[in-house]
Amino acid sequence: MNNNKTTRALLGTGALALAGLVTLPAQAADAERIIRDRCLSCHTETGEAATPFSRISEQRKTPEGWMMTISRMQQQRGLVISPEEKRAVVKYLADNQGLAPSETAGLRYLLEKEPNVVESFDQLLQETCVRCHSGARIALQRRTEDEWKNLIHFHMGQFPTAELHAGARDRAWFDIALTNVAPKLAKDYPFNSDAWNSWQKVIKKDLTGGWAMHGYVPGKGTFDASLHATKTANDTYALVLEGHYADGTPLAGKGRAVVYAGYEWRASLTIDGVKVRQVLAASADGNSLEGRMFERDDEIIGGSVKAVKGTAITAVTPSYIKRGERKLLTISGNNLKGNVKLGSGLKLLNVVSRDANRVVVLAEASKNAAVGSNTVKVGSVSAQGALAVYDTVARVEITPSDSIARIGGAGGPIPKQKSAYRAVGYAAGADGKPGTEDDLRLGYMPAAWTLKPFDEIAEHDNDIKYAGTIDKDGIFTPGDAGLNPERKMSTNNVGNLSVVGTVVDGGNSVQGEAHLLVTVQKFVKPVIE
Amino acid sequence: MKHLKSFNKKAKMLDQATSQNEVEEVVAMQSIVGCTSVNDPGWEVDPFGGLGSLCQPMESDLYGCADACWWPAQVPDTMVNHTAFGDTAPKANEDWRKIDSVFPEE
Ligand code: HEC
Ligand code: HEC
Repeated sequence: MNNNKTTRALLGTGALALAGLVTLPAQAADAERIIRDRCLSCHTETGEAATPFSRISEQRKTPEGWMMTISRMQQQRGLVISPEEKRAVVKYLADNQGLAPSETAGLRYLLEKEPNVVESFDQLLQETCVRCHSGARIALQRRTEDEWKNLIHFHMGQFPTAELHAGARDRAWFDIALTNVAPKLAKDYPFNSDAWNSWQKVIKKDLTGGWAMHGYVPGKGTFDASLHATKTANDTYALVLEGHYADGTPLAGKGRAVVYAGYEWRASLTIDGVKVRQVLAASADGNSLEGRMFERDDEIIGGSVKAVKGTAITAVTPSYIKRGERKLLTISGNNLKGNVKLGSGLKLLNVVSRDANRVVVLAEASKNAAVGSNTVKVGSVSAQGALAVYDTVARVEITPSDSIARIGGAGGPIPKQKSAYRAVGYAAGADGKPGTEDDLRLGYMPAAWTLKPFDEIAEHDNDIKYAGTIDKDGIFTPGDAGLNPERKMSTNNVGNLSVVGTVVDGGNSVQGEAHLLVTVQKFVKPVIE
Repeated sequence: MKHLKSFNKKAKMLDQATSQNEVEEVVAMQSIVGCTSVNDPGWEVDPFGGLGSLCQPMESDLYGCADACWWPAQVPDTMVNHTAFGDTAPKANEDWRKIDSVFPEE
């Protein structure tokens, strides 16, 4: 396709009316031209219309996946490409050789940079592949069997230790990867899929408009905000965010979003002077955006966010009320109009304040209200199970339950990698026993945070003194990088710790624990782990 | 080491493994995304879910490990991919501050 000719032909028939239509083919034609100009010194044209470029056309992946491959072309292969051209190629490939929303389900933690995820893949993949990097990096790609095989050859050449590690050197790693793993990957993660074929046919919704967003920021708490998106170009939006945290502190920011493959929302914003990122997925109906927002320079400091466009409730905070207790509850959402109903056993004493995005009520749970989860209604919309009525907090779980932090800083180039915790309360449920199937999840509860040595070794080595500190909001900051001459063999400020969260409920203190390994830096920073 | 609560399921099996052969049988352990589950030796976690069997301090072994491309997703390997890694910091023990991440922040 010749970009100029196409554009000229279209413009000739009425530039204004067709302006919207011109953008996409023009962008695509530009990207194809860049691929021809920049990539074909090494790659070749296949002559097949459906798969025109060797090694490039028979794989599909996320925007991050494409970014990673093309960065390798620059860093390892010698590709020369400008930042603008690279962005255009990533956009084109992620749009035309991307993943359907359903193909990313259950794996979005990798894109969202969710910390401390413990993965579980089947044994063959776990043993052969999930040893150096995440399994989701693999499961978020789709390839023909030949392309999965090419990938294995690339690994063998590039990372020859793959066959020397324990768990590889005792078997024919390369043969297993080629003859067992590649066909399995081609079956589980095929290049041609119904999901992608039908997603490509879906007319993608414009995401312009006013959104009601609810989210959580470690150290600051939950927030409600309106997010206004204005389309500036095809798949590109200017953003204005305005709202407040649960304690009333205002929050405001501006930024930009790009949407890949019709739903992969990637935004950069500056909120109150801090650079943040959003990795969200738009729903097919264009009415919700869900994912994670985190600080650009400290990806641990982030939390889930959800934004809605139509009439909906996004959250009820807090999500629990104790029998006999009187409490302020905030219902967040969009177009919140009409009467508030909290469910049986709960009395609405007073509507303290309300607007379309936020209703604050004073509620009271009767002494004998039934223990269980209630549906909250505002006018015609309802949020199922959004409010738990409980008797006592029987158990506290700390999330994440297994975690790492990494030493850093101290004038060095690699910053400390923190970890952040929250306490989730549970009531015992009908059987009266905590830790069983019928426990009632109450939601996130405020907690006091302390550290202790994980075991005798950690106690003996005095890890607690060196490995770092936890603050009142459950944010752990690890120790400084570098040798520590005070420690045995000048070891680093690493440590094996337990994080203890204490929730006070009435007169009782209930504790939960999580494991925290404070370990060394990671020198490679990939686009996705 | 029976008293250690394991960092993950496979490490629990490793707690009980006594010989090197047995250790090799249970190496495919699950680990936290971003960490390597290679543990002979490991980079951030040892086979027992702790830190005791790692190269410590890590600076003393950094280039030995980097040469060998043992953890290519954690430490730049100087064998194939990042031959210039460490050039500006020839003595890791003294000059660890000069070691840089190989991937630029965007
Ligand atoms: C200087 C030579 C060179 C240039 C220029 C080049 N490539 Fe490559 N490309 C390679 C080599 C060699 C491989 C195989 C090894 C590898 O995957 O890194 C490869 C592999 C690939 C793969 C397959 C990777 C995988 O994970 O299976 C893709 C996709 C790709 N290139 C895309 C591109 C794109 C897009 C461009 C242009 C923007 C480009 N390349 C430019 C040399 C090049
Ligand atoms: C020895 C460590 C190691 C093992 C084992 C390993 N990988 Fe990788 N893999 C890497 C590294 C390092 C990269 C990053 C390459 C780069 O910088 O682009 C990578 C990249 C990838 C990518 C992204 C490539 C792209 O450009 O799209 C995929 C997919 C992948 N690996 C799949 C696998 C599969 C499948 C297996 C098992 C057969 C496997 N890996 C085993 C180290 C490993």
